Amino acid sequence: MSEMTEVTTTGQTAAPAPTETPAVSLHAVTKRFPGGKGSEPVVAVDHIDLGIIDGEFFSLLGPSGCGKTTTLRMIAGFEYPSAGSIRIFDEEVGLKPPNKRPVNTVFQSYALFPHMTVAQNIAFGLEMKDVGRDEIQRRVAEVIDLVQLEGRENRKPKQLSGGQQQRVALARALVNRPKVLLLDEPLGALDLKLRQAMQIELKQMQEKVGITFVYVTHDQEEALTMSDRIAVMDSGNLLQVGSPEEIYDHPRTRFVADFIGETNLLEATVVDRRTAELGDGTPVRLDSDAATGTAVTLAVRPEKLGLVRADAERNHDLDAVHGTVDRVTFMGNAIAYHVTIEGGRIPFGIEIRQGNAPGIEHFAVGDEVRVRWAPSSASVLED
Amino acid sequence: MSIVDAGSAPAVAEDSVARPRRTVDRVLAGNAWMVFAFLYLPILVLIVLSFNDNDRVGVWTEASLRWYGEMFQHSRIMGALRTSIVVAVLSTAVSTVLGTAAALSLERFRYKSQRAFDGLLYLPVIIPDITMAVMLLLFFVQAFDIVLLVTGVGMSRGLGTITLAHIAFNISFVALVVRARLSGLDSSLEEAAADLYASRWLAFRRVTLPLIAPGVAGGALLALTLSLDDVVIAEFVSGAGTTTLPVFVFGALRRGISPLINAVSVLMLVGSILLVVGSLAISRRRTGG
Amino acid sequence: MATTLTPPDTDDTSVPPADLPPGLERNAEKAESRRGFLIGLPAYAYLVLFFAIPLAIVVVYSFATRSPSGLTVLADWNLRSYVRLTDSLVLAITWRSLWIATFTTVVSLVVAYPFAYYLATRPPRTRAILLVLVMIPFWSNFLVRTFAWRLLLSSDGPVTRILEFVGFANPRLLFTPTAVIIGLVYGYLPFMILPLYASLERMDHSLVEAARDLYATGWEAFRKVTWPLSKPGVIAGSILVFIPSFGAYVTPEVLGGTGTTMLGSYIGRQFVGTASDWPFGSSLSVAILFVMMIAAMFYFRSGGKDL
Repeated sequence: MSEMTEVTTTGQTAAPAPTETPAVSLHAVTKRFPGGKGSEPVVAVDHIDLGIIDGEFFSLLGPSGCGKTTTLRMIAGFEYPSAGSIRIFDEEVGLKPPNKRPVNTVFQSYALFPHMTVAQNIAFGLEMKDVGRDEIQRRVAEVIDLVQLEGRENRKPKQLSGGQQQRVALARALVNRPKVLLLDEPLGALDLKLRQAMQIELKQMQEKVGITFVYVTHDQEEALTMSDRIAVMDSGNLLQVGSPEEIYDHPRTRFVADFIGETNLLEATVVDRRTAELGDGTPVRLDSDAATGTAVTLAVRPEKLGLVRADAERNHDLDAVHGTVDRVTFMGNAIAYHVTIEGGRIPFGIEIRQGNAPGIEHFAVGDEVRVRWAPSSASVLED
Repeated sequence: MSIVDAGSAPAVAEDSVARPRRTVDRVLAGNAWMVFAFLYLPILVLIVLSFNDNDRVGVWTEASLRWYGEMFQHSRIMGALRTSIVVAVLSTAVSTVLGTAAALSLERFRYKSQRAFDGLLYLPVIIPDITMAVMLLLFFVQAFDIVLLVTGVGMSRGLGTITLAHIAFNISFVALVVRARLSGLDSSLEEAAADLYASRWLAFRRVTLPLIAPGVAGGALLALTLSLDDVVIAEFVSGAGTTTLPVFVFGALRRGISPLINAVSVLMLVGSILLVVGSLAISRRRTGG
Repeated sequence: MATTLTPPDTDDTSVPPADLPPGLERNAEKAESRRGFLIGLPAYAYLVLFFAIPLAIVVVYSFATRSPSGLTVLADWNLRSYVRLTDSLVLAITWRSLWIATFTTVVSLVVAYPFAYYLATRPPRTRAILLVLVMIPFWSNFLVRTFAWRLLLSSDGPVTRILEFVGFANPRLLFTPTAVIIGLVYGYLPFMILPLYASLERMDHSLVEAARDLYATGWEAFRKVTWPLSKPGVIAGSILVFIPSFGAYVTPEVLGGTGTTMLGSYIGRQFVGTASDWPFGSSLSVAILFVMMIAAMFYFRSGGKDL
């Protein structure tokens, strides 16, 4: 997969020194929960291997029930793995209770102690570690400064807004200077505007403190914005690990393509290493090692597709298929065209999204068009 | 629903749609007043009659504190009062500790015999008082027979047996109340404590216990009230010499009523109401601060 | 590159064996379970000693023999006490307990439903105050509250006076089933109000508005929406009133007369005085317990969880 390598090297995940120990490494980790009466145990996490590099912002992304939270909870120590090994900086922690692990968690519900003030909440971990009083005071003040909660030290969590509670939860974890910070959908309870602001803030904070963040979310946009690397999970399996660009531009499976962003899927048959054809023989280009005659699925993002009139001049560098515009949706920042392609065994629709800058040609329902894209924009899916 | 605030009906034109609802609301309000009258009038009558000087309960002569004076002179009443208080305090203390532990064990852990214990814990709540009374009577009779046979020590029913019996039903009620509180408590708070390096015990003492404290207090209050309220079980497991105040009153009622009983009743009433109002005030101040 | 840390996803089978032998987590969880069990153990042990064993003793006694002098002989095991459960006297008392308890339940429901509805539709502050006002009598001494009715209903008490004034000739309430039912309703009304209130308060009132919007009259909206949705509360409340009413002991003793003996007091009589018959009293207790268990089963089936 030459393309893949190309993207990876330009991505942010430049190769770490080979000797470096991962912050967190999971090895063949499996978690089974007992099923209901007489039923089979439920496999929440199925045999996953994962290495998280020291200092990176790593996201576990997937729909609810995919095992991402269970994975995080096993790293935190709230669940013990049924099999496998969990190492934090090369120390096996699989069966250690949470209070003996060098990690801290920001909970989805924040889990702020309602009977303690902000300062008491933040100081809790240090008190438990028997840090001296002066030291506690200094560090609490420092972290309150970091999350900009000055003047609210003596409030109870109930008296704070959602965003402020979120900062307290973050401060309460960070003050302990954990080796790894675990975040379980920490922005889920915030409204959109605040969430977007916090995304940036969280990322900046992570860069500032230099602690490895392991971030669980079901929000693909959040994961793409913040992460150095993303692991996409589904039904207990790790589907793909890579930089946001890799995951977005080159999804490896139908699930990843579909879950992250919007995508068009085209069924094609491989002709040779560089070409495949749609049902009616329209050639499209791709990179594939598959043998001639293999049926493959191509995934192309709507915004990577171009639209020209059917009678426009051909550009042979771009793949092109024929179709008819059958729906136009104005989206404000873009225009989405739904085009029916006759080229398949059965007609199928694809979605094209074009920017709304002046000079871009607009189309109407019924227009005959050609849809075209650069070969590198199409990913060959493995399933 | 639009009938939520009937009291502050706006002075705007009354439309015909709102009218029938208002009738319904009036009927509901009337019913509510009658229910409150039904709940409070008997208590008021009792209180008023306890200040009646006459020997006959129903014939009003003049207000006096005569029966209260006699009550405080009455050594059996005062003895029974003391027994009641001792039993209530002891059984509440023990059952609060055991019941809270049982609630924690059922709500925060998973183990095999849990369902059986769950059932065992619920039974004393649903069983009729009379059955529980009979059970415990037979148990103590049988147990004391065995003790006499084995050790030659004769034991008799009294303050001890009443306390043991009250603990038996109070554990269940305390556990019930504390469990309700625990199940409403986000378990991620306890996880957060563990995540912040707290040991099991510290997490309990610093996080769980302060947060379930209202539930524990509520359970203790319920236990105290139930213990002071109980007639049937205490009647069966008390001995000839020691009785609780309700058992004494119950016995007196069987012999026919005397105004003295009114005064004792008001004493018990005031005691229990003070208990509830006091605890409400305390809990309000605590949550308010 | 990333793949130095994340093994290629092509082969899952070639992964070296797990560092952590499977089942080890089971041990950790077992230790956790044991800890939970030990925390509960004192309470369980207490209940086994002072509840389960006494219960077993009652069952044992129900098969024993009563000696002519009234003592119980723990020998000569027989079913005589159970046979006596079908005596006409026992059946009459059971029947009476049943209808008094049923009547009490129905009256409570009729009084409590509109009251709970009223409560649930008040603004939150009023609601809280009214709830406390319901709870105060409930928390005060049961015996004393029952006794208050004896004063009210007695031949020279206010209720009798009012009835005479209105025109009833020689109204007699005390020591009648009516008095017992009044006393039981009074005693257990909060048991009906609270679950009803809980189910009505939880209800989304926009559902009623939706029904009105779909052309239902007020009454139809109640019958088709409010009532079905409050049914769990109705069932829970009814059972919570029925159970203690059926086994009532104090109320019929204080407000009832010779003609209103209920099962509870009848059982009690088997254990006091010269006419005592412990085996028979035990078999009655077992029988009543059985009825209660069935009622409780319905309660839990209806989704009720706590009082």
